[in-house]
Amino acid sequence: MATRTKRLTLNDTLVVDVDVHAHDTPEALTPYIDAEWRPVLEKFRDVPRRYLDLGGYSAYNSIQGAKLPGVSLPSPRGNSRIEIVYTAEQMRRELDDFSIDVGIIFPDHHLRIAGLPNANYAKALSRAYHHWLKEEWFHEDNDLYGVIIAIPQDVEEAVREIERWGNDERFVGVFLPTCEMYPLWGHRKFDPIYEAAQRYDLPVFLHAVAGMSSGFPYNLEAFTTAISTHTIAHSFAMMAHMLSMMETGVPVRYPDLRICFCEAGLTWVPFLRMRVDKEFNENRYQWPHFNDRPSKWIKKFYFATQPVEEPENKQDLVDIIRIYDGDDTTVFASDWPHHDFDHPRAVFDLPVSEVSKRKIMGANALKLMPRIKIPVKYQDVYKQGETL
Amino acid sequence: MSTEYIVAHSDELQPGQRKVIKVRGIEIGLFRIGDEYHALPNICTHQFGPLCAGKVGPAIMADENSNWGPEFRYDGEVVCCPWHGLEFHVPTGQCLAFPETRLRKYTVKVEGDEVKIVL
Repeated sequence: MATRTKRLTLNDTLVVDVDVHAHDTPEALTPYIDAEWRPVLEKFRDVPRRYLDLGGYSAYNSIQGAKLPGVSLPSPRGNSRIEIVYTAEQMRRELDDFSIDVGIIFPDHHLRIAGLPNANYAKALSRAYHHWLKEEWFHEDNDLYGVIIAIPQDVEEAVREIERWGNDERFVGVFLPTCEMYPLWGHRKFDPIYEAAQRYDLPVFLHAVAGMSSGFPYNLEAFTTAISTHTIAHSFAMMAHMLSMMETGVPVRYPDLRICFCEAGLTWVPFLRMRVDKEFNENRYQWPHFNDRPSKWIKKFYFATQPVEEPENKQDLVDIIRIYDGDDTTVFASDWPHHDFDHPRAVFDLPVSEVSKRKIMGANALKLMPRIKIPVKYQDVYKQGETL
Repeated sequence: MSTEYIVAHSDELQPGQRKVIKVRGIEIGLFRIGDEYHALPNICTHQFGPLCAGKVGPAIMADENSNWGPEFRYDGEVVCCPWHGLEFHVPTGQCLAFPETRLRKYTVKVEGDEVKIVL
């Protein structure tokens, strides 16, 4: 008698979420920051605050215009959901509710750390953040991991932090902030960061956040509603940084470096691939480090799904992934607990094969971050160091 | 064959209030708007969030009548999903963002002191 094959469900699929957020309040980091900066963080106790509005803990960029009364209409959603995770226990519980097995933690406020004008302050904050993660978020077998913040304000310090934590099994990548960044991540002064990341076999994650600085992407400040900004700010930032990295040949000069683009969705990727190949016909001499179509190198980049586009016809998104050859490089991200998080089903329910589902939901992330320990439940299905 | 289930007593919900109940394993949001009751599935069409636990309020609309400026309408008749904010007009089940999306509505009966849902 023929046996019926059981259909793959979310519950029996390893889900690695490459982007969840821990709430890095000044109070939380105070015990871990250098003594001379402690009084600065203690002062924040008296500062009234709203959702993620202490960007990088800086007085210069703390107010996101779109959240101010009078700039945009208040959301009818109100405060009906708390979009903050304070502890590892809370994170574990909430990821369990969504069948998410492994979570890679990014910061909340320090998504905007690149905007801090004071490099010493940025240095102290990033150090404190790493110690805080290590002490308070990485508990035995809670399957939570973190990324090392590379502060662009001080490249030597960024390298020191990669070297400090680069052999720690719970730090699985290097976070390159993309908001309020000048110059862009392709600048040659950042080479030591890429060299260190490659040396420690750590991928780099460019993570976008909505920002409207005077640099690229320009003109976004002219929008009158947050929906316009939020539609393109992240993707524009990713495009700018990717092009910058392409023009100085980062993927050629660091061939073993794995590069992942987070929080910009997926649909911008085929656009950029096709544009650079078109330009290469005429202007190859400007990017002489490439000996083939530039898209061959973009093909090696990883792309996190959130905020995943949700076209009326789901097949359209599957086609987009096919166009950029993303079956082996697309990685699930929820962005939990942020306002625009994606439930795993938003990606799992795409009309792709079961093998592709397993790759996108977890196996590709294992390839991106090989030091992730496969949870016990899946050790028979997914072998450490092997890919589907 | 349909069955009636008692889900509330008539003094339990004041106008503007709602509650989420479970009937035959199905989560349903019971809303009282004025003196009328409405029942919708407690599941958002977007990413399956707990729709009926969301904030109830007005919708911001704009058209020729408002000279294309924002205007509150349907006060107390719109529920907004707590996960991502997709809005639905409770009396009709109509989604405000996508015209083709309309939630099913469950029949509600008030008989004496009892509020019943028919499934």
